[in-house]
Amino acid sequence: MEYDDQDTFKMNESESIYGTTLSQESIKVIAESIGVGNFPDEAAKDLAEDVSYRLKEIIQDAAKFMRHGKRQRMTTHDIDYALKIKNIEPTYGFFAKDHIPFRFASGGGRELHFVEEKEIDLNEVISMSGGQTWPKLPLEITLRAHWLCIDGVQPTIPENPPPVSKDVQKLESVDPTSKLSNKSQNIGVGKPGGGGKSQKLRNVETVHVKQLATHELSVEQQLYYKEITEACVGSDEARRAEALQSLSADPGLHEMLARMCTFIAEGVRVNVVQNHLALLIYLMRMVKALLDNPSLYLEKYLHELIPSIATCIVSRQLCMRPEVDNHWALRDFASRLMAQICKNFNTSTNNVQTRVTRMFSQALTKNSQTPLASLYGAIEGLCELGSEVIKALVIPKIKSISERIESCIEGPGLSSVDKNGAGHIKTLLVKSVAPVLKTIRSPPDYVEDYKQDYGYIGPALCAAVVKARTQPTTLATTASTTTALTTSQQGAACTGKTIVQAVTSSSPGQQTGRTIMLGTSRAAGGTTAAGGQKFVILQSRSQTPTATNINTNAIQQQPQQQQQQQSQQQVKIAQTNVAQQKTHMQSNAPKLVVVCMSSGTHSTTTVTQGNITTKAQNVFVAQQNVECSLNPEEEHSFQ
Amino acid sequence: MVHIVHITHRGASVRLGARLSSPRLATIGHGRALGFGCHLTSGQRTLSFRRIGRAEENKTKRGRVLTDDRSRKYRNDPPGTEELFKKEANLTDISADETQQTDSEVNSVLSAYKSEGDPALYEKAYSELKKFVEGSLDIYKHELGTILYPVLVHMYLELVYNNHSEEAKQLLEKFGGNLEEYYQNDLKRLSNVTKREQMAGNELTDTFKSNQFIIRMSRDTLSILKRHLQEKKQSVLLNIIQEHLYFDMYEGVARNKQQIDATSGAMVGEATRQDNKAKVYYGLLKEPDIQCMPPTEEEEDDTGGADGDKPKKKKAKKDPLFSKKTKSDPNAPPVGRMPLPNLKDADKLEKGKALREASKRVVLGPDTLPSICFYTLLNAVHSVTAAEVAEDSSLLAIGFADSCIKVWSLVPQKLRLMKTGEQLQDIDREADDVLVRMMDDRTAETSRSLFGHNGPIYNLSFSPDRNLLLSCSEDSTVRLWSLHTWTCVVCYKGHLFPVWCVKFSPHGYYFATSSHDRTARLWATDSHQPLRIFAGHYSDVDVVQFHPNSNYVASGSSDMTVRLWDCVTGSQVRLMTGHKAPIYSLAFSAEGRFLASAGADHRVLVWDLAHGHLVAALSNHSGTIHCLSFSRDGNILVSGSLDYTIKLWDFTKLAEEMSLEDVNVSHNPDVKTNAEAYLLRTFATKNTPVFTLHFSRRNLLLGVGMFEST
Repeated sequence: MEYDDQDTFKMNESESIYGTTLSQESIKVIAESIGVGNFPDEAAKDLAEDVSYRLKEIIQDAAKFMRHGKRQRMTTHDIDYALKIKNIEPTYGFFAKDHIPFRFASGGGRELHFVEEKEIDLNEVISMSGGQTWPKLPLEITLRAHWLCIDGVQPTIPENPPPVSKDVQKLESVDPTSKLSNKSQNIGVGKPGGGGKSQKLRNVETVHVKQLATHELSVEQQLYYKEITEACVGSDEARRAEALQSLSADPGLHEMLARMCTFIAEGVRVNVVQNHLALLIYLMRMVKALLDNPSLYLEKYLHELIPSIATCIVSRQLCMRPEVDNHWALRDFASRLMAQICKNFNTSTNNVQTRVTRMFSQALTKNSQTPLASLYGAIEGLCELGSEVIKALVIPKIKSISERIESCIEGPGLSSVDKNGAGHIKTLLVKSVAPVLKTIRSPPDYVEDYKQDYGYIGPALCAAVVKARTQPTTLATTASTTTALTTSQQGAACTGKTIVQAVTSSSPGQQTGRTIMLGTSRAAGGTTAAGGQKFVILQSRSQTPTATNINTNAIQQQPQQQQQQQSQQQVKIAQTNVAQQKTHMQSNAPKLVVVCMSSGTHSTTTVTQGNITTKAQNVFVAQQNVECSLNPEEEHSFQ
Repeated sequence: MVHIVHITHRGASVRLGARLSSPRLATIGHGRALGFGCHLTSGQRTLSFRRIGRAEENKTKRGRVLTDDRSRKYRNDPPGTEELFKKEANLTDISADETQQTDSEVNSVLSAYKSEGDPALYEKAYSELKKFVEGSLDIYKHELGTILYPVLVHMYLELVYNNHSEEAKQLLEKFGGNLEEYYQNDLKRLSNVTKREQMAGNELTDTFKSNQFIIRMSRDTLSILKRHLQEKKQSVLLNIIQEHLYFDMYEGVARNKQQIDATSGAMVGEATRQDNKAKVYYGLLKEPDIQCMPPTEEEEDDTGGADGDKPKKKKAKKDPLFSKKTKSDPNAPPVGRMPLPNLKDADKLEKGKALREASKRVVLGPDTLPSICFYTLLNAVHSVTAAEVAEDSSLLAIGFADSCIKVWSLVPQKLRLMKTGEQLQDIDREADDVLVRMMDDRTAETSRSLFGHNGPIYNLSFSPDRNLLLSCSEDSTVRLWSLHTWTCVVCYKGHLFPVWCVKFSPHGYYFATSSHDRTARLWATDSHQPLRIFAGHYSDVDVVQFHPNSNYVASGSSDMTVRLWDCVTGSQVRLMTGHKAPIYSLAFSAEGRFLASAGADHRVLVWDLAHGHLVAALSNHSGTIHCLSFSRDGNILVSGSLDYTIKLWDFTKLAEEMSLEDVNVSHNPDVKTNAEAYLLRTFATKNTPVFTLHFSRRNLLLGVGMFEST
């Protein structure tokens, strides 16, 4: 009987005003279940109609109890009370706290919905002396007070919903006109009176002022910005953890998001020139935190973030001592960020993933000119995008990459830096390509075949594939997860197919009509001019000085040391790596506040400062002050 | 299978039956009968609508209180139902005979009535009527269109009654969808009934069977309709129109679609002019003498101490407050119209305190919006069913589905128990702080629970002096709790079905309740029987609210009407239609003239009590609205909903723009529907439906809701 009550919910969803009624068969089955065999058809029909009518009436009454309970979901209790007011005995012992999960089973052409109830052995419960098996006590109901709004302004605290919901942010970034057409959308934000006045003005002058973001930051927000940026790039790891936590969880950051993104972009720009690996890592962690924040939608700021991340992936040199420092981990980490962005923000209009993929694959095609570190980054970036991308773009290039590696490793008189880099690329390829090869090649794995197809690293690949075949599950996971970012990778893999198509349709080198957005053409021009450092030039403004700077810096190669720390290649979790870096940096320079816009190569400084002044943002001025107060000697020692 | 175990109901029926015959109830319905008779005589003679005889029956059937006879009917007792139906059938027969005798003109029409059994005629008749409505002139079209819904409903019921279920279904399927959106819900409920047996005991069909559907029409429209009916001589149609529709005719221009849509939608049609003719004293009572004022000032001097020049400032500020109140309102009820409890010393002190607080009040407006302090209940998974804040914002009571009530103190003072009898004897009764001394400090707690009910708590109400708390529950009782001893003091058993709402009068002593049994009742705390039973709603009375002058009670119901009842005479003085769904919240404006109502149709409607007109319909919510509140200065109206938002409406602007001067009694003035113009701000909560909203004396807004984790 109980189930019938529930079934009618489903029946009521029918399109027709009349809905459905119980079938005669159901009535007969129920009759059978209570011991009435041979139920006549006529009786079943009449009963079915009557029962359906009464069930519907009961549900209508139950809806009254639901509404007076100020709920939108009906409970079994509502049905009980509805039965009670009709003088029918309620169904006892059929309670559900929230909702009733229906299980569905079918077999032999019959379908059945049922509620699963686990049998509980009371003896077991009693005999257990405490421990986990005891049912948990429900939490006590508590009262919590907070300010929903203060003088008409809603504070952005975790207790309140984010001021601009993610959906709205998304809508804005996809369709900026929506903001103009829908005035009342943001009616909860801003100061009282202000909204009304501007609306009045609008009515009078009928001029629509395009106002996409509030540009003023309150004093609190400025302080917050200062604290957060300082903590994120400072030397105190505990404080940084707090700051990153705040960035990844706090609602209401969207107002200063533009500043945060600019901070990151400028920071990367400067530090890549100065080869401050630790700072680059910190900045990438900031990006990660912002990406993880559930209330933010970063689409509008990708033009700043993607070039920065790309720089961290493929830049020729990211650290002072490439032979010792583990810049590979930063490339891995940034690649995962890139994959995450592609997964979250790829739309048919911005084509983020297509363009990112094209950028990386172009680097692969010019493999002979690309520095090894950049090559590593490009491969890693592609590999993070999923197995489809690997299949379409990496595997065909393996042979040429192999040759290059071979020449670096085996060839005489080459620096250990090259050797080291080639080794990394080899490991990376073996690790990420092997699982894909496993799926596309049929079992008999001959070393010779592999060698023919993939050149120098063929034997290694072959061994890895064979290993993968013998223990399929474990290796597959280790291959695909370098950190805890599995989910995003899977997502990327899911979308991979479409992307590959898009990429192959617009083959590298060809300029398609899709150059309006971020300036692909500029990037291409940069490629010819700067030779291999094209990724940095994706930056929309002040590209020339930066690019040349990077070039000059990148050219100075350090005398090598012996290749060492084989283990460090395999460092999988960025955090641990960062911790290492931190100690390293601490010994080097205690004050790291000097991130982005202090001395260094002069041209860079002027450019960035020029940017600041033109933009005239309070916050940046504040930031500058902090820097000015620092001792120039320290800055120098930092160099 | 579905045979039902019968339990004799809770046993209060006998007492109730006696009370129901109270003369007050019989007054309902008179006005309508007279009014119609009058204007019909002036109308065409050829069609006699035979109203007066019907009206007598109406008197008994209209507003039938839902007693336990419903459960009897539900038993499917064959002879009883048969009788009932015979009665219905006979009625129609007799009416046919009588008309035959009285009027030869209609003779031919009624002979055709015999063939009413032919179900095919219905569809034809309805489609012809529809064609006629659609083909008529634009100015009359919409008003004529109002008869389509009731005609369809009654055709359906007649078909079902005559065992033509299939034809009935076809008729409804074919034409039901074309009717106005707001009738679809009722049509859906109606479609449930497909058998003659099901018609008995069904709330909706009972209401339609025993009441006439009220349609307001201009004289011109009505005469067009009559001419059409005479020409067509559609017996089926004519019979239905005669039997089940009531035309409330008015002089003037036919209304347009907006005007009709604004006020239609109720279960039995619109309000007639007669319904809203009675005078309503909507003014506020004169504040009881200001004698308490000087003492409070002194008191302030004593307590405030240090700041010497403060009182003077205060006085200047307060003066306007007082002068306003001392002026007597021309619309206020005469003193002593409703006997109110005398003020005790403690009450006067309290009044003084309230006034002092009020002088510190922020005047709200579009430029000075209130602050909102929101109380969120955590870990309560769908178990909270009621919330209420005391008038001075010091206490919060929460009612739970598991029949428990929990009271929190929102101020630093904790909740204390009264001392035992022996301990109380030791107290010096002359002491100033005797009230404080009575309480036992050792028992101070921030929250206390009250147990006693036997079902979900649907509403709570604090007495103005905060010594008492009322609660109503699914178990059909209302309980009065003492907040000194924290025990139940009285259990009021009068309602026979779940009690949905309870409200203390703003002056204390009286309280009003409303219930599933279709009545609202007025009680006094010291009587275990209700003082008045307000019967007239056709469905559950979901909410009641006292007028600030305690002379009137407003009630909102699932029959989609709002009614205003006079507590003194017990009669219904206003009937306001326009809601399209059950009403769950009511609030009177600060000056007492306006009533705001809201509910499941996601709209806030504002009514002018002077004439019962709808003046504004504000739609912007996307969920059922469960609470409404006016700010203390009356400038802002707030609404809270299950859609997780609180909306602030500019009531000053609304009141200014209302054209109250040139009111035409028969015509509803233009309804303000541009909600955006009055919406000041929307504040979203985080997955927290808003259960109650309350303005503190200083105009701080308090909201209460329950966090929904999913």
